[in-house]
Amino acid sequence: MNVASNVDRLLTQVLAGEVWPPLADRNGFRIDPEGRAFFLPGMGGVTLDVHVGDPATGYAGDHVEPGLSVRHRDPAANYALQYLSCIGNRVEVTSGPAKGAAGFVIGQHAYVLVDMDSDDMRHVTAGDQVSVFAVGQGLVLHDHPEVVVKNCSPALLAALQAGTTSTGQLEVHVSAVVPPEAIGAGAGMASEYANTDLMGAYAGMGEDLSLGLEVLRVGDVVALTDQDHRFGRGYRENWTTIGVISTASCLLYGHGPGPSSIMSGPAGAFKVVIDDSANLSSFNLGQPRGTRE
Amino acid sequence: MVRVNLLGHVDQGEVGTEPYRVDRDGRSYVAVGDGGTVLGLRLGESVFHHVGDHAAPGVCLVHPSDDARHALVGLACLGNRVTVRTGHAFGHVGSVLGKRGGGQRVIAVFPQDVLARLRPGDQVALLSCGQGAAAPVPGLTQMNVAPAALSLLGLTVQGDRLKVGVRAMLPSRFVGNGIGRPMAMWDVDLQVDSDTAATRSLCLGDLVAISDLDARTNAGYRRNWMSVGVVVHGASPQPGHGPGVMVVLSGPAELFSVGVEGEDHQPLSEERLISAAKGEGRDDA
Repeated sequence: MNVASNVDRLLTQVLAGEVWPPLADRNGFRIDPEGRAFFLPGMGGVTLDVHVGDPATGYAGDHVEPGLSVRHRDPAANYALQYLSCIGNRVEVTSGPAKGAAGFVIGQHAYVLVDMDSDDMRHVTAGDQVSVFAVGQGLVLHDHPEVVVKNCSPALLAALQAGTTSTGQLEVHVSAVVPPEAIGAGAGMASEYANTDLMGAYAGMGEDLSLGLEVLRVGDVVALTDQDHRFGRGYRENWTTIGVISTASCLLYGHGPGPSSIMSGPAGAFKVVIDDSANLSSFNLGQPRGTRE
Repeated sequence: MVRVNLLGHVDQGEVGTEPYRVDRDGRSYVAVGDGGTVLGLRLGESVFHHVGDHAAPGVCLVHPSDDARHALVGLACLGNRVTVRTGHAFGHVGSVLGKRGGGQRVIAVFPQDVLARLRPGDQVALLSCGQGAAAPVPGLTQMNVAPAALSLLGLTVQGDRLKVGVRAMLPSRFVGNGIGRPMAMWDVDLQVDSDTAATRSLCLGDLVAISDLDARTNAGYRRNWMSVGVVVHGASPQPGHGPGVMVVLSGPAELFSVGVEGEDHQPLSEERLISAAKGEGRDDA
C-alpha cells in the first residue's frame, strides 16, 4: 500500500503461544439456524485442508479455524498474545516434529490463527509451542488521521492495494462489501480480540438466510458497511471498517465466517475498490525459514 | 407448566483492575450501574436520561456457581415472583423484569424503599415459570415471560395474527451485543443513542419490534421474520452496546400485526408487574 506511515517506529515483541486443543462439552451438540442439532469440528487444534485463498464456506465444520489455533496458558499472557498479534506476523514452531517450520498470522478468533505450508502443518499438533513475532499495533497512517489501524502488520500494510489517492482518500482494494445486516456475534466486543462473525453465509441453507456472502474466501480483504471498529465493534452509519476473513464455515446461528478488523474510519475517508485478488493468498506473506519480518 | 424455586443472590457488580472503559469515540469513562442494585432508575423512564452503562431499573440477581447461574438466568421469566429471604428486606416481594447476557444476570424490580434495604449477598427465592409456554398464535415462539404476566404486554389475537403495540420498530442491523447468543439466556443490545430518531423516546419497560431477526434459539438474521421484546436495561456508551431488549416473541413477520405507537406507547409499570408476580406466587396451582 502506497501510504506514509510510522512502520519505522514500531516495536516487535516475541510472544510464546501453544497450539490449543479443540474443546467440547459433554452435551456435544449445538444448534443450526433451522433448530437442528449438529456436532462438527472447527475450533482449536490444527485444522488441515483450509488455507488462505480457499473458500470460507461449505465445509462440514463450525467456526472453522484454518491452520493452527494458538493460545497461552496464563490468562494475562494470553491477552498479550491475542491483542498484540497482527495479521501477517511471522510465527515459528519451536517444539515437536515441526520445530523450525514457519507460518504467519491470519487473524484472531479468541485464538491466534496461523497458516503455513501443508507439509509442515500436518506435523504440528496440540501442545506444540510457537513464537509469534508480534508487530503492528500502534501503526499510524500519517495522511489519514481519521483512519484507525489495528491488527495489521507492516508486511500486510505493504501488501495491501492501493494507497493514498490524489484527493486524499485511502484507496483499499477489497474482494467483497459486507452489509450491516450480516454482522453477527462479536458485535460489542473489543476489536483487538477475536473477530466479527458474518451471518448470511450459510451455504446450502435457506434463501431467507442469505446475504450473498457464500462466496467469501479465507484471507479475503473485505469492507464492512456502517461499522466503526476503532474502539470496539459497533454499528455506525457512514463508517467503514476494513477486515480480513480469518475464519470459515459456521453452522451455529448468528455466527459465520468472520473478518479480523484492520482499519476503521468515516466512509468518506476510504475509496473502496472491488478487486478479486484482494486476498492474503496473493500477498506472499509466508517467509522462508530463518528470515525475520 | 413446571414451576421451580431458584436461589438468587443480590449482585454487587464488578469492575476490572482499571476504572475506565472506552466509549465509541475513544473517550474513557467510569461505568455506573452496570449490575448490582440501582436506586433512582424506574420503569417508564428514558433509557438515555441517566449517566449509566447498561443500568437496570432495580436489582441484578446472580448465583456464585456458574452452572446454577446459567439455570437462574435461563429459567427466570418476566413476571416471576421474587421473595427476599435474608437481610433487612426479608419477606418483601418483587418481580423479574428480564435478563442480561454476557454477565449473566437476572433483573428484578422492587419498590424503591425495598431496593434501598437490599445489600449485595442477600438471598432471594425466584419462583421460575414460563419457559416452554405456547405462544398465543400458532407458528410464533414465546419465551422469557410468565403466563401471568403475558396480559401486561397488551397483546391481542386477531385471527391467525398477533397484534402488538410497540414503542419502535428497528431493522436487525441495529442489534449489537447478544446477536448469535441463545435468547433464553441473553438480551440483545440496540446500537442506538439519544440521536437515533426511531428510539428517541425509548423507555425502560417498553416493547420494541426488530424486523428480520429470528430469535427462536440464537438470535440471527432472517428475512421476513420479526422478534418482539421488552426493554430491560438502559443505554451504554460502549460501541456495539446500548439499551437491552429481552425477546419474548419471535416468528414469521406475517404472523405479527405490529403497531408502532411512538410517543403514545405505554411501558410496563412497576406496580402492575409486581402485582402480577404476587398473583403468580399464590399456592393454588
